[in-house]
Amino acid sequence: MLQAIWDNIKGLYSLLVGMSITGRYLLSPVETIHYPRQVVADEIMASFRGPIQLTKGKKDPAQTRCISCQMCVKACPGHCLSVTKGDTKAPAQWLYDFSYCCLCGACVETCPTGALEFSHKVYLVTLTREELILDLLADLQKRAAILPESQPVPTANLAPPTVPDVESIGEPK
Amino acid sequence: MDLSLAIFVQIIAAVLLIIALMVGNAVVMVYMERKVAGFIQRRPGPYEVGPWGTLQAVCDSMKLLAKQLYRPGNVDLILYYLAPITAFFPVLLLFLAIPFGPWLTPLPVNDGIVLILAFAGLGVLSNLLAGWASNNKYSLLGAARAVSQTVAYEIPMILALLAVVLQSGSMDLKRITDQQGQWPWEWNIVLQPLAFFIYLVSLVGETNRAPFDLPEAESELTAGFHTEYSGMGFALFFLSEYANMLLVSFVAAVFFLGGYKGPFADGFWWLFLKAYAVMFFMVWIRWTFPRVRFDQLLNINWKWLLPLGLINLWLTAIIVKIAL
Repeated sequence: MLQAIWDNIKGLYSLLVGMSITGRYLLSPVETIHYPRQVVADEIMASFRGPIQLTKGKKDPAQTRCISCQMCVKACPGHCLSVTKGDTKAPAQWLYDFSYCCLCGACVETCPTGALEFSHKVYLVTLTREELILDLLADLQKRAAILPESQPVPTANLAPPTVPDVESIGEPK
Repeated sequence: MDLSLAIFVQIIAAVLLIIALMVGNAVVMVYMERKVAGFIQRRPGPYEVGPWGTLQAVCDSMKLLAKQLYRPGNVDLILYYLAPITAFFPVLLLFLAIPFGPWLTPLPVNDGIVLILAFAGLGVLSNLLAGWASNNKYSLLGAARAVSQTVAYEIPMILALLAVVLQSGSMDLKRITDQQGQWPWEWNIVLQPLAFFIYLVSLVGETNRAPFDLPEAESELTAGFHTEYSGMGFALFFLSEYANMLLVSFVAAVFFLGGYKGPFADGFWWLFLKAYAVMFFMVWIRWTFPRVRFDQLLNINWKWLLPLGLINLWLTAIIVKIAL
């Protein structure tokens, strides 16, 4: 009986502790961001793993490192990637259906040349499902065009790559 | 008390004002509830509609007014539509006995607290009717919980109030207020701290609010007894729930916190300030504590509040007898 009374007094004290915590939170400033008026700082975005994108090339940023080996296509559990090989090893078309993507990162893991990475895009919104089928080659070239000024702006963005690394290895024709 | 024409007109005017008060209170409380919930969870709460989101609750009530009244099949028609009305109308009566100011009591009655407690019991009936008539298992479970909970929590509530009644020797809310002084140390809370504590716990149980919100536990019973109500049917339950909160807060203010009396100038502003302080406390504990289990709920009541209330009442009776 006395034990039960003592337990209840301790329980009441724990209630007060809980109320002091919520009371402190009540008075402390808001932690969230009012999205349309404020946006999260880019440093925080760096840890966000959004839809995948093609990594910029080492020599020519507009040039993908992809060798069309189809490893990512096989690894993808959602079958959302489709890589079409061109005349060279470089892909002619690189389509990515984000509506099927579960962001598991299996493609990024398996890529032998490190051609894939997670982007930091948070605000991807479309009105139709078809718009979620992303052309990653076009995206890469768009990103390469807005490089910081310190790096040379690539001249041949849209033309097919002239001397990529992969071409020297070559595929028997 | 003779029912002359003057008193009749007075009651009509008071009822109209009370309806305005109930609706205004619901709007204010929805805004306060959402804002406090937001700040406790470190987010801003409503902030888009109107300055600081103040018009959000108004927009919500407009939406409720415009909504279709959807009635599921196989309901008990009369009881189904009677239940929200039974929830709403007794609350009007309850406010009549509250002394809002020194000369501002809608209906001066000798036994105000008896009136309040008697008609407050009708609220349970509306929950029971709604749960039974909806022909829904969740509603029925919610109604069963509402009845056993509200009936249980009425007892310690009455015991706590009785201690104050014994001490002041009157059931008239006006006289109880008048016996308390202007300053906080002259209020009944100093003389009856245990009764105030019991009342505070049981008012949360009586108004079916978290952590004692088992009749409408969202995660277990979707919405409890008002699951099948839409539009204004739901809105009437909602209104009467917030009006009940306001009422028990008024009673707490009158019985324990000095009513309309306060430092510098007596008046209804002190009563409203105290009542809304109690309401803020209720909102605060709602967003702090998790919901209790049903056996825990009844254990708190029958094993702790009821014996404590009896002991408190007994001690009060002895002390009053010796002192007088």
